[in-house]
Amino acid sequence: MDKSYHTIAFYPQKCNGCNDCIEACARINTGEVSPAHSRIAIVKDSEDGSFGLALCRQCGEPRCVMDCPAGALSKNEDTGVIQWEETKCVNCQLCTLACSYAGITYNPVTRKVMKCDMCGGDPACAKVCGRGALEYLTSSDLYDKWGDMEDLFVPGISACLGCNSELLIRHTLRRIGPETVVATPPGCVAGVGSVGVNGFTATKTPVFHPLLTNTASMLAGARRYYNRIGRDITMLAFGGDGGTADVGFQSLSGAAERGEQMIYICIDNEGYMNTGVQRSSTTPYGAWTSTTPVGSVLRGKTQDAKPMPVLMMMHNCAYVATASTAFMEDYYAKLDKAVAAAKHGMAYIHVFSPCPTGWRFPPAMLIEIARKGVETNTVPLWEYINDGNEFHFTHSVDNPLPVQEFLSLIGKYRHLDADQIDHIQKMNKRRIEMLKMFSEQEERRAS
Amino acid sequence: MSKTIVCDGNEAAAWGVVKARPDMVAVYPITPQSSLAEYISQFVADGLIEADLMDVEGEHSVLSVLQGACLAGARTFTATCGQGLAFMFEPYFRTPPLRLPIVMSLVTRDGISPQCVWGGQQDAMTVREVGWIQMYCETNQEILDTIIMAYKIAEHRDVMLPTNVCHDGNYQSYGVEQVEIPDQGDVDAFLGEKNTNWHVALDPDRPMGVDPLTGGAAASGASLFVRYRKGTCKGMQNALRVIAEVHEEWGRKIGRHYSPLVEEYRLDDADYAIVTIGGMTGAGKDAVDMAREAGEKVGLIKVKTFRPYPLQAMLQAVSKVKAVGIVDRSVSFGWNAGPVYQEVLSTLYHRKERIPAVSFIGGLAGADITEDHFSQIIETTARTLRDEIPEGPIWINE
Amino acid sequence: MSHTKYLIVGCSHAGLTAMETIRLQDSEGAITMVTREETLPYSPTILPYFIAGQVPQEQIFLRDQAYFDKLNVTLLKGAAVVGADSAAKTIRLASGDEIHYEKLLLATGAGATVPPFPGIENVRYQVVRDLNDALKLRETMNQAKSAIVIGAGLIAMHSAENLAHAGLKVSMVVRRKVSLFAYFDVAAAGLIEKIFEDNGVHIATGSGVAKISPSDGGRCVVTLESGEDLTGDVLLLAAGVRPRIEYLEGSGIETDAGILVDNSMRTSAADIWAAGDVAQAPQFFEPGKTVNATLPNAVTQGRVAGMDMVSDPAFKPYSGSSGLNTFNFFGHHAFSVGLATIAEPTEDIEVNTTLLPSGLRYQKLVFQKDRLVGVSAINAALDPGIMRELIRRQTDLGAIKEKFVSAPLETGRLLMSKLWR
Ligand SMILES: Cc1cc2nc3c(=O)[nH]c(=O)nc-3n(C[C@H](O)[C@H](O)[C@H](O)COP(=O)(O)OP(=O)(O)OC[C@H]3O[C@@H](n4cnc5c(N)ncnc54)[C@H](O)[C@@H]3O)c2cc1C
Ligand code: SF4
Ligand code: SF4
Repeated sequence: MDKSYHTIAFYPQKCNGCNDCIEACARINTGEVSPAHSRIAIVKDSEDGSFGLALCRQCGEPRCVMDCPAGALSKNEDTGVIQWEETKCVNCQLCTLACSYAGITYNPVTRKVMKCDMCGGDPACAKVCGRGALEYLTSSDLYDKWGDMEDLFVPGISACLGCNSELLIRHTLRRIGPETVVATPPGCVAGVGSVGVNGFTATKTPVFHPLLTNTASMLAGARRYYNRIGRDITMLAFGGDGGTADVGFQSLSGAAERGEQMIYICIDNEGYMNTGVQRSSTTPYGAWTSTTPVGSVLRGKTQDAKPMPVLMMMHNCAYVATASTAFMEDYYAKLDKAVAAAKHGMAYIHVFSPCPTGWRFPPAMLIEIARKGVETNTVPLWEYINDGNEFHFTHSVDNPLPVQEFLSLIGKYRHLDADQIDHIQKMNKRRIEMLKMFSEQEERRAS
Repeated sequence: MSKTIVCDGNEAAAWGVVKARPDMVAVYPITPQSSLAEYISQFVADGLIEADLMDVEGEHSVLSVLQGACLAGARTFTATCGQGLAFMFEPYFRTPPLRLPIVMSLVTRDGISPQCVWGGQQDAMTVREVGWIQMYCETNQEILDTIIMAYKIAEHRDVMLPTNVCHDGNYQSYGVEQVEIPDQGDVDAFLGEKNTNWHVALDPDRPMGVDPLTGGAAASGASLFVRYRKGTCKGMQNALRVIAEVHEEWGRKIGRHYSPLVEEYRLDDADYAIVTIGGMTGAGKDAVDMAREAGEKVGLIKVKTFRPYPLQAMLQAVSKVKAVGIVDRSVSFGWNAGPVYQEVLSTLYHRKERIPAVSFIGGLAGADITEDHFSQIIETTARTLRDEIPEGPIWINE
Repeated sequence: MSHTKYLIVGCSHAGLTAMETIRLQDSEGAITMVTREETLPYSPTILPYFIAGQVPQEQIFLRDQAYFDKLNVTLLKGAAVVGADSAAKTIRLASGDEIHYEKLLLATGAGATVPPFPGIENVRYQVVRDLNDALKLRETMNQAKSAIVIGAGLIAMHSAENLAHAGLKVSMVVRRKVSLFAYFDVAAAGLIEKIFEDNGVHIATGSGVAKISPSDGGRCVVTLESGEDLTGDVLLLAAGVRPRIEYLEGSGIETDAGILVDNSMRTSAADIWAAGDVAQAPQFFEPGKTVNATLPNAVTQGRVAGMDMVSDPAFKPYSGSSGLNTFNFFGHHAFSVGLATIAEPTEDIEVNTTLLPSGLRYQKLVFQKDRLVGVSAINAALDPGIMRELIRRQTDLGAIKEKFVSAPLETGRLLMSKLWR
C-alpha cells in the first residue's frame, strides 16, 4: 500500500476571514507579515460571504513537478510534501501554469515562486487558526501504521453500500489483531456475514454470535477462563444499539459492574436496522423509523435517546468513549486506550454510526454526516478514564454548527417541523451542559 | 480418603461439584436452590473449589458466562430452578446444539402462577425437549455421585451435551441424609482428562466462526442445519449407552451402584407396578414393601434418566407387568396428564398386548407424596387389573 | 530480441509523464524507455539557462538513475531508434538491436528547423535543441562578443536573453511585425520588446532574412530584406521546430507535420501512441490537428497516452491543443493561455485589456460570450494555472463575469475553491 501523508484541511464554514493564517505563513517564512509572502490565501465571496482557499494540496500526481523543466520540484516520499529547491529553480514559472490550485505562486517581492512546505510538519497556519477552520490532519499515520496490517475481515461481505459498520470492523480488527475473540450479536454486524453463513466465516479471528441479550456475559466467561489459564486474549464485542442499550443492557450492565475485561463497542445506528429500521432506545427524538412513523398524527419518535455512554461511565467502567468514523485518528487513539483498559476492566466505546439505508441518505454522504454529527454537538466526542477519574472532550464542543446542518442531510429527519428542530437543538445543548459539568470538575481538580 | 457426613441435598450436590473440580461456577440465588449457591460460594471461599466464582446479575447471564467459558475450554457448573430456569431459557435453549458439556443442578420447583416457591418438577419437565440430558436422583448420595458422573457423561466424545442433575426442591434440597464423600484421587482417576471444547472453540489458536447463520432457501443451508440437528439427536442416543457405562464404572471404582436409566424394584414377579421419578421414590418403595407384605404382587419402576428417554430399559421393565400407575410431580397441560405418564404410554405401544396405565399427579407446590398416598396409588393401579380404570388423571393432595 | 510490455521512445516530458502514469496503475508490467541521449533525461527548456551559466550541467537532469530503478523501469541511453515495424511490433535501434513491444509510445520530440536562407551553407550556425547543441554553443560563446538570433518564438527570446546575460551583444531578426505572435498581441509584444531593447537586445522586426554571408574571423553577416546588415560572432537559428519522424519512414504510421494522433494519442497503427512535440493532435478551439511544441502540452499528452496505454479507469480524452506558456524575462513575468492574441472584439468575442505602460503591467482577458477563452498578462498578479483551468473547463462565468473582470485573481481563486479544489 502506498504511503499516506498528513494534510491541512480547510472547513470554510468555520472561517471568518481574519487572515491570521496568512500573516502567520508570511511571518514564519520570511519574518514579515506582508501577504505577498504568504503561501496560503483565503478569498471571500462578497456575495454569499463564504470563503475559499488557495493552498498547495501536496498532490499525489503533482502537475507542477511534471511540468518543471529544472527538476526543482519533487515529492518528498517521507512527508509527501512537494518540495521546491531554490538552487535548481530557473524561475520559468511553468509550475504556476501547471498548478490549477494556485498552490505555487509567483512572489513579486522576491521575484521567485513560492509554495507551502507544511512548515516541516508543524504548519503555522493551522496552529494560529483559532476557529478550527484550518486543521493539520495527521490521520494518515494511521493508514501508514495499520494499513499494511492484515485485514481480519474478508472482502465481499454483504454489507449495504456505504456501511459504517464494515468500516469500523475492518479498522478495529486491524488495530486489535488476531489474538482476539469477537462477539457479534444479532444485528447488522452479524447480518453482513461476520460470523458467516452456512459454514463459511467472514472473520479471521474466533468469532461467534452471542444472543442479542448476552454478549457481555459470554465474553466475560471466556475471558475469565483465559485469565485462569494465563492467556491474554482480548474480548471484543461489536454490539448494535438494540443489543447494547435495549435487550442486552442487563448483561452489559452486570459485566460492567463486575469489571469484566473486554472491549465493548456499540455501533449505534440508532435503531434496529437489520430487521428493517425499527425504533430502539437510542433512536433520537423526532427520527422516523418504521415503528415511529410519520403520518398525520405521529411525527417520528417522541422520546430522546438513552444516553448510553454516560450510563456506562456511571458504571465505573475502566474506560468509556464516544467516537465517530469521521474522526478516525481520535478513534484509533481511543482504541489504544481501550485495549489497555480492557486488561483490567471494561472498555466501552460508543460509535456514532450513520446508516445510509435506515437513515435515508446517499452512501457517499456517510463520513460527512458522521462529521456533521460531531460538529453540531449532536454526538460530542469525549472520553472517560477511570484510572485518575479523567473526563475530557476530544473534539471542541464550543462554537457548534447549527443542528440543521446535520439534520438536513438525513432523510429520517426530513419531516421535522420548527418545534421539533428546536427541541433537538435544546437537547443537544442540555446534554453538552451536563457533560461539561464532568469536564469542568476535571479542570477544577487539575488546577 | 472418602469421608462420611450428614447433609442436605443441596450440600451433597455442592460436594459433588467440589470433587469434579470445575474451572468456573456461576451462581444466582433462587429458592430452593439458593443454599446450593451459597455452599458453592463458601467452598470457593474456603478453597475447596478452586474455581472462578461468577456471581452475575441473573440466570440468563449465569448460563451465558458458562457458555463463554466452556467455549474457551472450561469445565463449568451452575444450578437453578423455576423462574430462574425460565429466565435462563434463551441461552439454555442453545446450549445443547452448541454441544457444550455444561453441568447444572435443577433443584426442581413448581412453576408460577399461582405464586409458589416450593418443590415440584414442572420446571424440569417443561424443558424436557430442549436437548439437555436429565437425570433425577432419589437420595442425597445419588445427587452427589450423579453430579460427578454427569461430567463424565456430558464430556464424553460421543455425547458432548449439557446435563441437568435434578433433585426435588424442599424435599431433597433441605432433607438431611448421611452421605459419603468420595476420595478426590478416586474421582480424578474416574473423570480423567477434561476436554470441553475440542469440537467448538473460541480460541485464537484455532480460529473459527462459532454458530454461523445456517439454513435458508439455499438447499445446502437447510441440509447443513439438518446435519447439525441429527448430530445432536445422535449424541442424545449415544448418551443412553454412555450413561450406562459411566454408572457401571462408578460402581466398579467407587463401590456404589445405581441403575443408570431405569431401576426395577421388586419387579421380576410383579403383576403390576408403579412408576416414580426423583425423591418420591423412597416413599414409593416403602409402600411397595408394605403391599408386598400384604401379598400384593406389586413392583416399582424408578426413572433415573428421563432425557434421553430410556425406551428400551423402560420397555423391558413395563413388559414384566400387566398394569402400571405412573406418578408425576408436574403436569402436561396439553394432555391433562403427567408427562412421565405420556412417555410410558408411548413405550407401551411397543408391547404386543395393551395393558392399563393410570396417571397420578402429586407433590405439586412442595406437597409431600406420603406412603399412604402411594398405598392408594398401588390400590388404584391394582384395581385396573380388574378393569376398574379411572377417567383422567388422579390428583393427589387435592 | 528483447521484449517489453511498454516501450517508450524518448525520455523527456512526454515520455516520462507517460511512464509515471502507467506505473500508477501497473506496478509490475515491464517498461523500457529508450533515448538517443547518452545522459539522464533533461528538458530542452532548461538549455537557455544552462547556456547562460545559471545552472551547472550536473543539475539539469529531471530524474536520476535511482528513480528508474525504484520504479523498475529499464532506461536505455544512447539508443537511437532508426526504424519501426508496427505489424511485427518491433523497433530497431541504430545498434541493430530490435525491441519487441506490446504497447509503444513515440515521444521523440521535435528538432530545430533550418530554413533555407540563401548562403546559410557558407556560415557556421547554431541551434539549441539538445545538450550537445548547448555545449557547442557555450564553447563558441566563450570567444564571442556578439550574437544574432533568428526567430521570434519563445526559444528565440529565451536564448537571446540568456546570451545577453552571458555578456554578448545580441541582435534578433524577427520576420513579422512583432515577436511572440503566438502568445501575445501587438501591444503586449511591444511591451516585451521594449524591455528587451532596454536591456540591450536589439530586435529588428518586420523584415526577413535576405541572405547570410561569412565575414572575417568566423563571424557572419545577416542581410535583412530591409537592407540592414547585422554582424555577429555567433549565429543562432531559432526559427521553429520540426517533429522528429524520419525514423518512421516506411512504417505505415500516418504523419503530416508530426505523427497524427486522435484524442487518445493513438496513432493510425494499432498499439502505438504518440505524444509531445512529435505529435500532431486535435486542437481545443478549432478543428484540425496541430503540433504544439510546448512543455505543458507534452506533459498533458504524455499523461493522456499513458492512461490510455494502461487502460486507466480514470482516463479522460485529450481536450485539445491550445496555446499556453509562461515567459520570464529580465525580471519580468508574463504568461499566455488560450486565444490571447485576439485583438479586436467581434460579435461574440469580448476583449478586456488593461495596460499600464508606466508600471509595465498588462492584462488581457478574452471572453466568448460568458466563457473565458484567453488570458495573457505581463507582470500581473494572476494565477496562470487557474486561468488555464477555467478555459479548459469552459466555465460559465455568467453572473460573476463583471466581478471576474474587476478582480480576476480573487474571483479565479474563489471559483477554483468552489469548483474543483
Ligand atoms: C531552447 C528551448 C527552450 C524552450 N523553452 C520552452 C518554454 O519556455 N516553455 C515551453 O513550454 N516549452 C519550451 N520549449 C519546448 C519544450 O522543451 C518541449 O516542448 C518539450 O521538451 C517537449 O517534450 P517532448 O517529450 O515531447 O520532447 P523532447 O523534450 O524534445 O524529448 C524528446 C526525447 O526523445 C528522444 N529522441 C528523439 N529522437 C529519438 C530517436 N530517434 N531515438 C531515441 N530517442 C529519441 C530524445 O533523446 C529525448 O529524450 C523549449 C525548447 C527548447 C529547445
Ligand atoms: S503546487 Fe499545485 S500541482 Fe503542485 S503539489 Fe501543490 S497543488 Fe499540486
Ligand atoms: S519556476 Fe522553478 S520550480 Fe517552477 S517550474 Fe520553473 S524551474 Fe520549476
